[in-house]
Amino acid sequence: MRRRSVLPGFGITLGYTLVYLTLIVLIPFSALMVRTSSGGWEHFWSTITAPRVAASYWVSFGISFLAALVNGFFGFIGAWVLVRYRFPGRRILDAMVDLPFALPTAVAGIALTALYAPNDWIGEFLKPMGIKVAFTRLGIFVALTFIGMPFVVRTVQPVIQGLSDDVEEAAACLGANRWQTFRRVVFPALLPSILTGITLAYGRAVGEFGSVVFIAGNLPFKTEITPLLIISKLEQYDYSGAAALGFVMLVVSFFVLLASNGLQAWDNKRKGIS
Amino acid sequence: MAGATQFPIPHRPSAGRRATAESPVAKFLLIGITLVFFSLFLLLPLLVVFQEAFSKGLGVFVKAFQDPYTQDAIRLTLLVAAITVPLNTIFGLAAAWSLTRFRFSGRAFIITLIDLPLWVSPVIGGLIYVLVFGSKGWFGSWLTDHNIRIIFAVPGIVLATVFVTFPFVARGLIPLMQAQGINEEEAALTLGANGWQIFWRVTVPKIKWGLLYGVILCNARAMGEFGAVSVVSGHIRGKTNTMPLHIEILYNEYHFAAAFAVASLLALLALVTLFLKTYSEWRAAEQLKQL
Amino acid sequence: MSIRIHHVTKRYARFPALDDVSVEIETGELLALLGPSGSGKTTLLRVIAGLEFPESQGSVLFQERDVTQLSAYKRKAGFVFQAYALFAHMNVFENIAFALRVLPRRKRPPEATIRARVVELLAAVQLEGLEKRLPTQLSGGQRQRVAFARALAIEPEVLLLDEPFGALDAKVRKDLRRWLKDFHKRIRLTTIFVTHDQDEAFEVADRVVIIDKGVIQQSGTPEEVRKNPANEFVREFLDL
Repeated sequence: MRRRSVLPGFGITLGYTLVYLTLIVLIPFSALMVRTSSGGWEHFWSTITAPRVAASYWVSFGISFLAALVNGFFGFIGAWVLVRYRFPGRRILDAMVDLPFALPTAVAGIALTALYAPNDWIGEFLKPMGIKVAFTRLGIFVALTFIGMPFVVRTVQPVIQGLSDDVEEAAACLGANRWQTFRRVVFPALLPSILTGITLAYGRAVGEFGSVVFIAGNLPFKTEITPLLIISKLEQYDYSGAAALGFVMLVVSFFVLLASNGLQAWDNKRKGIS
Repeated sequence: MAGATQFPIPHRPSAGRRATAESPVAKFLLIGITLVFFSLFLLLPLLVVFQEAFSKGLGVFVKAFQDPYTQDAIRLTLLVAAITVPLNTIFGLAAAWSLTRFRFSGRAFIITLIDLPLWVSPVIGGLIYVLVFGSKGWFGSWLTDHNIRIIFAVPGIVLATVFVTFPFVARGLIPLMQAQGINEEEAALTLGANGWQIFWRVTVPKIKWGLLYGVILCNARAMGEFGAVSVVSGHIRGKTNTMPLHIEILYNEYHFAAAFAVASLLALLALVTLFLKTYSEWRAAEQLKQL
Repeated sequence: MSIRIHHVTKRYARFPALDDVSVEIETGELLALLGPSGSGKTTLLRVIAGLEFPESQGSVLFQERDVTQLSAYKRKAGFVFQAYALFAHMNVFENIAFALRVLPRRKRPPEATIRARVVELLAAVQLEGLEKRLPTQLSGGQRQRVAFARALAIEPEVLLLDEPFGALDAKVRKDLRRWLKDFHKRIRLTTIFVTHDQDEAFEVADRVVIIDKGVIQQSGTPEEVRKNPANEFVREFLDL
C-alpha cells in the first residue's frame, strides 16, 4: 500500500484504523469462525437444524421479509408524499421518520408492548375483534415494521427528489395521463431504490433484538427469534452452539449485503454508468 | 447499510405544476395514508412512553429516579458513552482521513469492514466478545487466572458498545470529506503547514457539522444499545446494568411506571438526538452546496 | 393548425413572466420566439403546450378551439425539451412508441402498426437501426432527433421546440438547423421554437417574434425586423 498523495499523516491514521479494526472486528470474528468449526460438522449441523431453531428461522427471517415488504409499500408512499406535497406538519413528520433509528430498542420494545397489550391503547381496541397482537407473531411483525420504517423512506426520498420535471412533462405532452406517467415513467425509475430500501430494512429486521423480545413473549416454536436462541445457548455455556447460530445469521447478513450491492450494480448498468 | 450515507438535500417539495400533478383526490388519499400509517407507528409509541411514565402520577415518576440502582444504571450508561464516543470519534477521524485523502488498494475492503456492525445483529456484537473473553473463550482461563473480568463487567460492556457504534462517526465523515476534496489541504501544505496544523485549521472547520452528526448518532446508539450489551453484561444490578438493561429488569418485575420513567429519559434523548441530527445534517448540506 | 394567443398574462409570485401577450401564428408557419434569458419566451411556449396556465383573462386557441384550460396530455402539441427528457430506462424504440402505447384502449393501434410507425419515424429523422440503443448510448445530436421522432409520434398539429439545439456543439448545431428547415419544408407542420441565438432564429424561421421581460417587442419576417427595428431594445439585442 503506497500513498499517492503528499499530505502527511498517512501512516499514523491508517495504522490506527487498522489496529482498531483488527482488535474490534477481525480478531473477535475469527473467534466466531473458529468456534463454529471447532465443535465438528455433526454438532454444527444438528444445532442449526434443531426443530426449535428452525422454528426461529421462520420467525426471524420470514416475518422480517413481510415487514420489509410492508415498509416498501408505505415507505414509498411516504417518501413520495414528503417530497412532492406540502401539508401542515410535513417537516415534523420528515424529522420523525428517523425515530426508529434514534430510539433505543428497549424503549421501543416496551412501548410497542404497552401499545398492543390486550388492555391498553390499541390492544384494547382490537380485543373485541379477536385480534391479539402482543405475544404473538403479529406483534413481532409490528415491531419489525417499526424498526424498518426509515430505511425505505430515506433510500427513496433522494431519488424522488432527483427526478427532473421535464421527463414527466414530456410524458404528459405525449398524451399520457397521470397514472400512465407514473406507471411507465416514474415508477421504473424509482424501482431500484425501493428494492434497495426493502433489502436494507430486511437486513436490519433480521438481526433485531431489543424491539422484539418484549412484545414477542418468546414462546418456543412460536415467537422465538434466532438472536434470543443465541443468548440462551450462551447462558448454558454452549459456546459452539451459539457460534453456530451466529454463523447462520452472518451468512444471511452476507447475502443481504450481496443483494444490496447487486441492486446498486444493476441500477448503475441501467443508467449507463460504468 | 452498505455504502456511505449521502447527506440529503434539504427537503423541498418540487413546485407542483398543474400539468403534471396528481388529482386532488389522489393527493388527499396519499397524504392521508401516510399520516395514518406513520402516526400509528411513530407517534403512538412515543406517546405511550410518556403517558405510562406519568400514569401513576408525578410522585412515582420522581421516586423511580431516587432508586439507587437506577442511579447506578444512569451513571454506568454515561460512563460507557463517555469512553465509547471519544474512542470512536478518533477512529472515525483517522479512518476518514486515511481513506479520503490517500489512494491505496484495499480501501473498499476497509470501508466494508467499517460498515459491518450495521449489517449484523447486535447480539452477534456481544457474542463475539464472549467467544474471546468469556470464561470458556480464547482468553478465558488466562483472564480468570489473573482475576481480570471483562465479560460480565464494565470493560465487556464498553467493548460491545464500541463495536456497535464505531461506524457512525466514520460514515458521517467519509462522504463529506470525499466530496470536499483535498485541494484546500494541499494548498495549506504548500504554504508550509504541518500535518496537525492542516488538520486543525483547514480540515476540522470544514467537517465540523458532519462530525457533529456522526457523534450525535454514535452517542445515541451508545446510550441506547441493548442487544449487544445484554449478551456481555450479566445483568448485575448496581454493577453491570446500563439504562436499557435496567429498563428490562424493571419491566420484567412489573414496575411498569418506573420502567417507563427511565425509558422516558431515553426517549427524550432520542428526540434531542433527532433534532440535533436534522440540524447538523442541514448545516452540512448547506456547507457542501457552497463548494 | 393556426394558433391564437389573446392577452395572456402569467405571474410567478408577483413577477410577470408574460405581460398581456397576444400572438397569431398561421398554419404551417415556422416561428421563432427570440429573446434573452428570462424574457418569458419559454413560458409562452409552455402555455401553448398546456404545461402552464395563464391568469384568468388570457386565452389560447388552436384553430379557433379554446384550449386554455386543457391540460397538456389532452392537447396534442408535440414538445421537444431543452434537455431532451428522453425516458432513460427505455430504449429508442420504446421512447418513440410511448405516445402510441398510452393511447386509450379503443384508439390504440395493434403492435404491428406501432412497429411500422416507429420505423417510419426513425427513418424520418435518419436514425434507422438504432432502435435497441439506450439514451445513454447516443450522442447529443442523436438524442435530439429521438426527441423529435418521439414528439411526432402523436401526429401533432403543432410542434414546440424549447431551445432545441442549445446543448450541442457548433458543428452539430449547424447541421441540425439545416435539417430542421428542410424537415419543415417537407412536412409543413406549424412549428414554434424558442431560442436566444439570433443567428439561429434568422436563419431558420419564416417569422420572428422578439420578446423581452414578458412583453412582445416586435414581430415580423427576418428582413422586416432587420430593416425596421421597432425600438431601442430590438436594435441593441440584434446589434444593429
